[in-house]
Amino acid sequence: MKRIKISFLIVVVLLTSLMASCIPGQGQPASGWSGTAFRDGVIYVGTGDGTVVAINATSREEQWPNPYSFATEGSGGLACGPAIVADAIYATPIVDGGSVYVGTYSGRMYALSTATGARRWSYPEDGNIGAVVGSPVVADETIYISTSDGMVYALYIGNGDVRWQDRLEWKSEPLADKLWTSPTVMDDTLYVSTFDGHIYALSAENGGMLDWTLQLEAGLASSPVIYGDTIYVGSFDNNLYAIEIGANEHRWRFQGGKWFWAAPLVHDGIVYAGSLDGRLYLIDSETGDKLGEFDAGSPIVASPVIMDDLLIVADESGDVYVFDLSYALQDRTVPLMRVQLDAKVESTFCVSEGLAYIRAEDKLYAVDVEKGWVTWELSLAAEE
Amino acid sequence: MLEIWYLIILNPILNVLVALSHILAGEFGLAIIALTVIVRFASWPLNKRQLKSTKALQDLQPKMQELQKKHGKNQQKLQQEMMKLYKEAGVNPLGCLWPMLVQFPIWIALYQSIMRALATTPENLLALHRHLYSWEVVRNAIPLSSRFLWLDLGSPDPYFILAIIVGGTMWVQQKMTQAPSADPRQQSTARMMTLMMPLMFGMLTLMFPSGLALFWAVSNIIGIITQYLVTGGWGYLKISSPFQSAAPKG
Repeated sequence: MKRIKISFLIVVVLLTSLMASCIPGQGQPASGWSGTAFRDGVIYVGTGDGTVVAINATSREEQWPNPYSFATEGSGGLACGPAIVADAIYATPIVDGGSVYVGTYSGRMYALSTATGARRWSYPEDGNIGAVVGSPVVADETIYISTSDGMVYALYIGNGDVRWQDRLEWKSEPLADKLWTSPTVMDDTLYVSTFDGHIYALSAENGGMLDWTLQLEAGLASSPVIYGDTIYVGSFDNNLYAIEIGANEHRWRFQGGKWFWAAPLVHDGIVYAGSLDGRLYLIDSETGDKLGEFDAGSPIVASPVIMDDLLIVADESGDVYVFDLSYALQDRTVPLMRVQLDAKVESTFCVSEGLAYIRAEDKLYAVDVEKGWVTWELSLAAEE
Repeated sequence: MLEIWYLIILNPILNVLVALSHILAGEFGLAIIALTVIVRFASWPLNKRQLKSTKALQDLQPKMQELQKKHGKNQQKLQQEMMKLYKEAGVNPLGCLWPMLVQFPIWIALYQSIMRALATTPENLLALHRHLYSWEVVRNAIPLSSRFLWLDLGSPDPYFILAIIVGGTMWVQQKMTQAPSADPRQQSTARMMTLMMPLMFGMLTLMFPSGLALFWAVSNIIGIITQYLVTGGWGYLKISSPFQSAAPKG
């Protein structure tokens, strides 16, 4: 009888594990949407297989023979999931000096050699910090990272040591539930936007909270962008906010049809803001007045990019639009050209010498934004 | 097909859940509890029918056991007599099943809504905007805070408290309706099932986000209360031996 009971319990445990890991409807798994970075003729991008690859933009060959693989323990265990799974990479790699810096969803920061892809350091060496979703920023030999446990970390880029070690706690105070946005650094101050609607100002020197903090009515979806003395940030209440640094309330807000998920771009007094309602809005950076709009027809998830006088915008359906900013204002909302990619664009992208390097799902595209075609495309999926 | 599912069932439930969260001081846990109560209340006519069928079946148990004793060796005769008994009492033995089946899509949608609203991964959060209405109350609620009491609603309860509540309440609810059988084999299977389901759900609670487990726990508790009120007592919960007393006690 005892044996039957034990067998019964084992069956219950196995069946339950099987159900837990295979049951549908739990939403999409974390697979990452790392954007592209370009330096010295090489494109760096995180892949869905949990690696960062370095691709020569001319030869299209991988620079590193054995890209460093970021793996983490899977939760599937007994049933559908493998024991080891690829770590998701959302943050766009940052290239500085001879290193490329990568933050992972399992909560580690890595420095890899740009020459070989070999690991130089990781932080922490053991264990994990909160998931890194927003791209880190580098300033003054320091890399600043915001993480899902509501913390901001400052590490020396040379060795990964913690810079704020003079404090009682080496990390800043918990700022919010989750920090999935990137911090922005200006004049020794780090500005952080949070899901609970705060803009915090931290000392880049020691991580201490500065006097100025502002709370908005809605949660902030995008990373903050600074232009002059003003922060521009997108929110979940469908508004784009302009906030003068040090002020007690926003200067203006502009309402779109859906969330402003992507960080806006500000250029020559005009805010170019893509919304999940599929429109690119042109807004006066001083007054918040709408100067124009372009309906892409599909949510704009990635931030727009400027190269010379060209504005490049990619929407989620994979359409890439190029606008000429030298045109009169009323003509700027008419795209010069449209290039269709056959995959979804959710990642930030970079441009160099007439080419936009765009990661769309598991492909990397080089789009000629002057001629309006795809120069080459490359699969980022691991070969079977 | 999927679009129809989203349009008619999933999106309305998801948006009400999000709106409730904003109304209830940003507490997503309270929103889950409130929505579970609302859904239970809305499906009350169906539940009532189901419970009445259960009660009627419970009331027939003494006669059923007599029939089993009398015709236990002749299964065909037993089946015929049982059907006759059901017909005379105006009870459909499957009558308690179909209200449950009708409610099934609602529970699936509720489960999916909770998972989607919690948006535990960046992909899920980004995908959430497709399902949200442009109501101001919804706009102002996003993103939801996953903290509630000691729980992170997006992760399993680390202290096993919810697992015990979910398993315990499910056991009580099943025990209230589990009619004793004269056949020892049937009785043994029934006992196994009464134990297996709470154990499985208790285990699932340790693996699933606690927001979902909260929904199970509240749903079970409401189930126990309504069952108590409709059937007029604890049903078979109080009966220690199936042969001790056949009639449910109040």
